[in-house]
Amino acid sequence: MRAFQAELSKLFSLPGIWLAVLIGAVAPAVIAALDAIAEKEAIIAGVSTRLPEMGYSGLGLGVQGVIILGVLAVSSEYVAESSETGGGQQMTTSLTAVSSRLHFLLAKAGAVTVISILLSMVAILTTVSATHLILGEYTPAFEGSRLAGAVCYWTFTALLAFGMTLLTRNGIIPLAVLIINSSVVSFSVLLHKVTKLAFYLPDRAGFEMFMFTSGSAHTPGTGSLFESYLTPLTGGLVMFAWVAVLLMLAAIVFRRRDVAA
Amino acid sequence: MLTINSLVKRRGSQQILSGISFEARPGRVTGFLGPNGAGKSSTLRILLGLDRATSGSALIQGKPYAELHHPLATVGAALDGSGAHPMRTGRAHLRWIARAAGLPRSRVEEVLELTGLSDAAGKRVRNYSLGMGKRLGMAAALLGDPDILILDEPVNGLDPEGIRWIRTFLRKRAESGHTVLLSSHLMGELAETVDDVVIIKQGTIVAAGTLQEVIGRHSSLEEAFFALTMEKAGDGV
Amino acid sequence: MRISSGRRITPILGAELDKFRTLPLIRLTLTVTFILNIALTAAFTSVSLQETTGTQNTLNTGLASMGYLQAGFIILGILATCSEYTGGQIRTTLTAMPWRGVQISAKMLALAMITIPAAFIMAASGVLYAFIMLGDTALMTEIGTVIQTLAGATGYLTLTALLSAAVGAILRRTTPAVVVLLGYYFIVSPLTRDWLPGYLPDKAGYYMYTPPSVDAGNILTPMEGTGVAMLWTLSLMAAAILLYRRRDA
Repeated sequence: MRAFQAELSKLFSLPGIWLAVLIGAVAPAVIAALDAIAEKEAIIAGVSTRLPEMGYSGLGLGVQGVIILGVLAVSSEYVAESSETGGGQQMTTSLTAVSSRLHFLLAKAGAVTVISILLSMVAILTTVSATHLILGEYTPAFEGSRLAGAVCYWTFTALLAFGMTLLTRNGIIPLAVLIINSSVVSFSVLLHKVTKLAFYLPDRAGFEMFMFTSGSAHTPGTGSLFESYLTPLTGGLVMFAWVAVLLMLAAIVFRRRDVAA
Repeated sequence: MLTINSLVKRRGSQQILSGISFEARPGRVTGFLGPNGAGKSSTLRILLGLDRATSGSALIQGKPYAELHHPLATVGAALDGSGAHPMRTGRAHLRWIARAAGLPRSRVEEVLELTGLSDAAGKRVRNYSLGMGKRLGMAAALLGDPDILILDEPVNGLDPEGIRWIRTFLRKRAESGHTVLLSSHLMGELAETVDDVVIIKQGTIVAAGTLQEVIGRHSSLEEAFFALTMEKAGDGV
Repeated sequence: MRISSGRRITPILGAELDKFRTLPLIRLTLTVTFILNIALTAAFTSVSLQETTGTQNTLNTGLASMGYLQAGFIILGILATCSEYTGGQIRTTLTAMPWRGVQISAKMLALAMITIPAAFIMAASGVLYAFIMLGDTALMTEIGTVIQTLAGATGYLTLTALLSAAVGAILRRTTPAVVVLLGYYFIVSPLTRDWLPGYLPDKAGYYMYTPPSVDAGNILTPMEGTGVAMLWTLSLMAAAILLYRRRDA
């Protein structure tokens, strides 16, 4: 517990985390607002097929905040990117303070999880408000189960970023992969046309938790990216499996290697 | 010859240096002393053209650093840390510096030999110990066989053998007419190496002169340092 | 000082090229980008083969991965300037080469010397792959257009790398630079396509490797696109150089 509190205070003393929180709170609302503005006419005319997606698209595409959070939680331990410090890594200090590496990892992952959950709730609040502000009476009702799915999606995404950074010890690769993949031109958009296996990629599977309405879940999909392929629960489990495997792998590698190397 | 003349440095509302002046002369080792945060590193960084002075000047043989024609043949500097990218090998680091200064590659091997890094030259800098990083910084400083050496905490992190090597090396440099300016807070070490002493505290010079002048009526350099830099230390000098 | 900067440029350029050559991250970025680009082109080609309607265009399919390919060059540019600030190397750089304007310009030149061939090889290999795979089902394009488009793609990727290097030099830290640039190119820009004007660097640059077509609403010709993209890169580089000369290292 002490280690967990230490990780929380470490995270909140990083200026980058506050940027991550800001992006996490604002980005989904802005994306949802832009999306709502674009669809507004069609929605009022009653011809929009994307009405159930309103707001959720912001939550699905605006995860950059938690990606940065997950990456910084690890990379801040390794980076010595200052002209004054010669090459000191915080990791050495951290591992002397908390001698068990597994405890250290659990505490850190716990801190990332808690902040992600809180941040996703803030994001839901801002996103729902933004959607209401623009669509007014046309706003679709937000279902609790789908919102819970969005919280899971955000938390899993943060943990994916966390695990990838732990493996690579460098923030660039996970940031690049995850930011590009959180965009509208994500790799799964491309790959689903090539193979159905793309639906089991973590981001696409995670989308199942909240992007689609429950009604469409069991209709045989045309294979379009914008239709449900798995049930929300299966989607969530698939994404969770990715997270679990990645974190286990990262934990094994992390326990084995030397701190400085 | 290094000339610091009424140097002032302000960062935001913070006054880091408030008009300091001193000289480091050829043929002598000048020790630059002060508690942490007194402005030692800032002075050295301005001298090397890394930071800009708010007013005043820091000149190397009468010129600002950026106007030197062959900077590495004039000044060799080793500040805190290795100053190398951790992913590069020690040898690759020295080679690009040599290339920038127009020095032959054989000179890289010479300084590696001189600083005892020949065996570690192929390793990436991130795997170096603190002492090895320090030696790499020294190797880079010596690459151009400069007239002037500016070293920040040169013995920090070195093993006893390395400390002794630095001491004799710096003495020899000074005796052959070179200028050496080094900052440190290791009093005992400094007292055995330096000819002149400059003591800085909160951005102002509190004492400057030969080692004997600064020690004055105190029993040692350490005593003199504390008398001069402690609050309510009375009228030391 | 001004007169001798011409003589100085050769050793400085050499030193900057040495730095790129010996930094494993640069090599890694280029290799990974190359492999990913081929893999993505393969995916696009296979999608293109599935689409039975109409004829495929080798050039469009081969360059379909440009959107992703630019990420590699953005990272390359960021690494070029931000790596100076890792381990305090900037102090070494500026004591060895205290002529800041000349030094950073030489670095940009060295970066361009690496990105031009790299970008050309990557763009060309994508088009070549598409050409081999699509074979005779594809609409043959005139060789002149192919060369023009490949030159445009090379130019765009090089300008993107230089622009990223300039942003990296302004921000000085890798992570914020990656967040800002990838965030702009991949999140902000696609989402605001309908709101923001077409004169932003990525949108103008898009026309550099897109042959002007009569039907589609091309706002800019390739030459105009090149001009606008170049203007962005040059102004950001100028801002970076100005800031680099003025501030404390």
